[in-house]
Amino acid sequence: MNGSRRLAAFALILAAASFAAGCGNTAPAGPGPATQAAAAGSVPLSSAFATAAGTWAVTVMGSRADYNDFWQLFARPAGSTRWELVTPPGVADNGGLVLASVGGGSLIAAFRPSQDLAYTPLTATSDLGQTWSSANPLAGALASTPDALAVAPGSGRLLALLADDTAELAAPGYASWSTLVTQRNLAMAPGAKRCGLVNLTAAAFTPSGVPLLAGNCTKPGTVGVLADQAGAWQLAGPALPAALAHQTVTVLRLTRIADTTVALLAAGSGRGTTLLAAWTSGDGSHWALSPPFPLNGAQLTAASFGSGGAVGVLLTANRGETIAGAGASWRSLPALPPSTATLAPDPAGGLDALAVHSATLTVWQLAPGTAGWRTSQTINVPIQFGSSG
Amino acid sequence: MPGMNSGLDVGDPIVVAAFKAALLHQGLIVLLIFGLLGIAWVSLRAWLPGPARGDALAAGGATPGAATPDAATPDAATPGTATPGTGEPLWRQVLRIGFGSLWILDGILQAQPKMAVGLPSQVIEPIAASSPRWVQEVVNWAGTAWSYHPMQAGASAVWIQVGIGIWLLVAPRGAWSRLAGLVSVGWGLVVWVFGEAFGGIFAPGLTWLFGAPGAVLIYSVAGLLIALPERTWRSPLPGRLTLGGMGLFLVGMAVLQAWPGRGFWQGTSHGQPGSLTAMVRTMATTPQPGVLSTWVTAFGVFDAGHGFAVNLFVVVALAVTGAAFVSGRPALIRPALIGFGVLCVADWVLIEDFGFFGGLGTDPNSMLPMILMATAGYLALTRLPAAEAVSDPAARPVASWRDRVRLVGAPASLAAASFSSVASVGAVAMIILGAAPMAAAQASPVADTILAQAIDGNSAVLSYRAPGFSLTDQDGRTVTLASLRGKVILLTFLDPVCSTDCPLVGREFRQASQLLAADSRHVELVAINFNPLYTQVSYLQAYDREVGLGGVPNWRYLTGSRAQLQAVYRSYALPLEILPAGSMIGHGDYVFAIDQTGQVRRQYDFNPGPGTTSTQSSFAAELADTARQLLGQS
Repeated sequence: MNGSRRLAAFALILAAASFAAGCGNTAPAGPGPATQAAAAGSVPLSSAFATAAGTWAVTVMGSRADYNDFWQLFARPAGSTRWELVTPPGVADNGGLVLASVGGGSLIAAFRPSQDLAYTPLTATSDLGQTWSSANPLAGALASTPDALAVAPGSGRLLALLADDTAELAAPGYASWSTLVTQRNLAMAPGAKRCGLVNLTAAAFTPSGVPLLAGNCTKPGTVGVLADQAGAWQLAGPALPAALAHQTVTVLRLTRIADTTVALLAAGSGRGTTLLAAWTSGDGSHWALSPPFPLNGAQLTAASFGSGGAVGVLLTANRGETIAGAGASWRSLPALPPSTATLAPDPAGGLDALAVHSATLTVWQLAPGTAGWRTSQTINVPIQFGSSG
Repeated sequence: MPGMNSGLDVGDPIVVAAFKAALLHQGLIVLLIFGLLGIAWVSLRAWLPGPARGDALAAGGATPGAATPDAATPDAATPGTATPGTGEPLWRQVLRIGFGSLWILDGILQAQPKMAVGLPSQVIEPIAASSPRWVQEVVNWAGTAWSYHPMQAGASAVWIQVGIGIWLLVAPRGAWSRLAGLVSVGWGLVVWVFGEAFGGIFAPGLTWLFGAPGAVLIYSVAGLLIALPERTWRSPLPGRLTLGGMGLFLVGMAVLQAWPGRGFWQGTSHGQPGSLTAMVRTMATTPQPGVLSTWVTAFGVFDAGHGFAVNLFVVVALAVTGAAFVSGRPALIRPALIGFGVLCVADWVLIEDFGFFGGLGTDPNSMLPMILMATAGYLALTRLPAAEAVSDPAARPVASWRDRVRLVGAPASLAAASFSSVASVGAVAMIILGAAPMAAAQASPVADTILAQAIDGNSAVLSYRAPGFSLTDQDGRTVTLASLRGKVILLTFLDPVCSTDCPLVGREFRQASQLLAADSRHVELVAINFNPLYTQVSYLQAYDREVGLGGVPNWRYLTGSRAQLQAVYRSYALPLEILPAGSMIGHGDYVFAIDQTGQVRRQYDFNPGPGTTSTQSSFAAELADTARQLLGQS
């Protein structure tokens, strides 16, 4: 019985580690690399977007080990160059924060469940994150995608994409949720059959309040954006140029910024994958497409959306690209600062790169017309290491 | 393996103290049993007239031990081939005394303080970890049972093994002796399957050097040989089969040892230690006397530099020994046996590192049993007892079963019984003493409360009026503490959006309600929202759905405004901190047991801690016990 002492020692370490578990107990901070990107093929939750009142950015900090990865929300008021930590309190956010802009300084944040939590708490702010009020929760687990939650303009209805590929809808107050559609039913919808929908990746509303769902189609050349037209789901994505007609398309992002719905698409697979941005300001019947941008094997690690349809993408190997909007071309950014976690658009046309090292966020600015990044701010985030173990 | 690890420190003082107390308590009972049996036996022998005892003898001794020294034929064995006074052949004596002693040693090792908690997680689970999934599941079943009832399981292993050992030692012949062999087979297989994960024979690193095929499997084979009927004692067949089987096994092990790609041919490879070197280095780290560690370390260094030569020697030695054993020719077997003994001792000292150091060693591993088996096989083949040395059981009068169980004849039977029969009865009583509490504990679906007490310590016994409150329950109804008067209340504080302890505590409350069964009508399970930022009733309902408390009739989850909740926290003196940067609310875990008059009688600083299935059910059992105690005091 004594032939396994190596494993016994390992088990002893595990047992000792399990004793560290505790609710809300704090432990000394430990340095470690921040979680950077999600697994290949999924869409990372790190994101940023601008509204009239300011810019929001969400990224993960801390370290990967033992639930010491904490998602942090930062806000920068319009007209200011200073970011503030505005992470909503009261819930462990190791599962990820998903944001839905209501417009202006209002936002709804969802805490993706982690560990033994099985449902999704919601909280809301109307003052750019200075104060938060809990909203009724979502019964299921929100999908792990940055566009899993969307607020309808005007009506305030909330659309949520769950981890089980179900889309749920709730009226303001969010006291009662109803199933809008499931991926299975959506795939069978007459207007969507020619897509061959296999999963859902994003939920959004058009500027007129029509629910949109996005996913991946198995049929080449078909963009899996579907609109709920009076109860009948119809394909409503952009048509791809003939050169991409034989490529399968992944909808990486689908979000509404003010009066524009923006989609980020990946066509093809492997090193031949190309990235496209698409914009529509109506019900999805007319889209403008960006030029294809060859990824050459790189992967998307974060995306940001600014006013006027500006899109910034952070790629692996610390590369970045931006495009100012429909009709513009992709522009490569200067070599990004190390450990950049997301890009954030500046209303004045500039760009911030938010770099993370454990519990420290460093803001780098790229002023319009300049060729280099410069440090503008450092925020030490008071992460309570060990508080979620 | 989900249920194996109770999450406790193997040296937890509460568990260790309870384990020692249980062993001491049961040890006194064992002494009492042996004492009473001895007194009764001696007294009856002195009291009953000789003819009465003689009658009993004539009737077969009235016990299964009829064929014992008292009844055995006089010594007629060839000197050196059978034990004087018993007629038992030497090979059987080697097995019986050797393995009896080993069982006793194993039982004593099971009494080490760390065994109660440590055996499932530190011994059984790691051994099974490299085995196939189905083996892990089989082993997990037993490991979970052990971790739920560590006191009973730990003590039962001690008494069963010591009992089997004593039984083997005291019963040299007859039905009692054969039965002891069969019990050794049965318990050996239980330990081999559940404790040794089938001796690791399904694991990829199988090797004779590390103990394959599992020490206890050899105990079982020995038990089988001991259980053979006496008529086989005069046959060379047991010896031939034993040596032949061992020989084939050793040849197979030689082939496996020589198989390329298993890491035994290299002392080191690409800077990494080979399989044997790595194992030896690990064994050298076991707490043990320094001189032994030095030997093992030195051999590890030697193997790292001469891995190929060491493995070649082992392969050749196993193959040659195996072939000699298979041959059945004593002239070949004799030197092979000597060489094999030396090899086994070297392996035992330098590779297996004696096997029983470190506080969690359960046996001296496989080499001593190997030596005993090979020696017994050789003796069985070469030194047969003379025909007259073994009495013919058919020639002895045997009592009918009615005679054996007749109460009126019991005193006479006891008086007529041999010492070995009486001692065997005591050994059987010892085994039953060990097995019965474990069997009874298995009937309980929950773990012992000792686990919960080990994590949190004993609850404080208190008596003060519980601070009142008026809050809203999960159904929107107003609930006050006064409205619950007349019932026992288990009151806790739970954060509905907490992702670690709170869901565990909720599940423990649900299980406590199930354990209370009919008593739950008199008990209210109450939780107060411990998150002043998420106060909506919808969060309570979501939590209830999450942990399965929605349908529990006596469950009440209360909330209120932030101000109301914070006032309750203050009145119960419970600290709470709203932590920044994505952390959950900082708070502890508490349970207050409130009696029917509204007095707080117990407070648990309730940490579900490791949150394993065993600790959770032990907390639930402790909650239910507390509620019952308060109900009983009313």
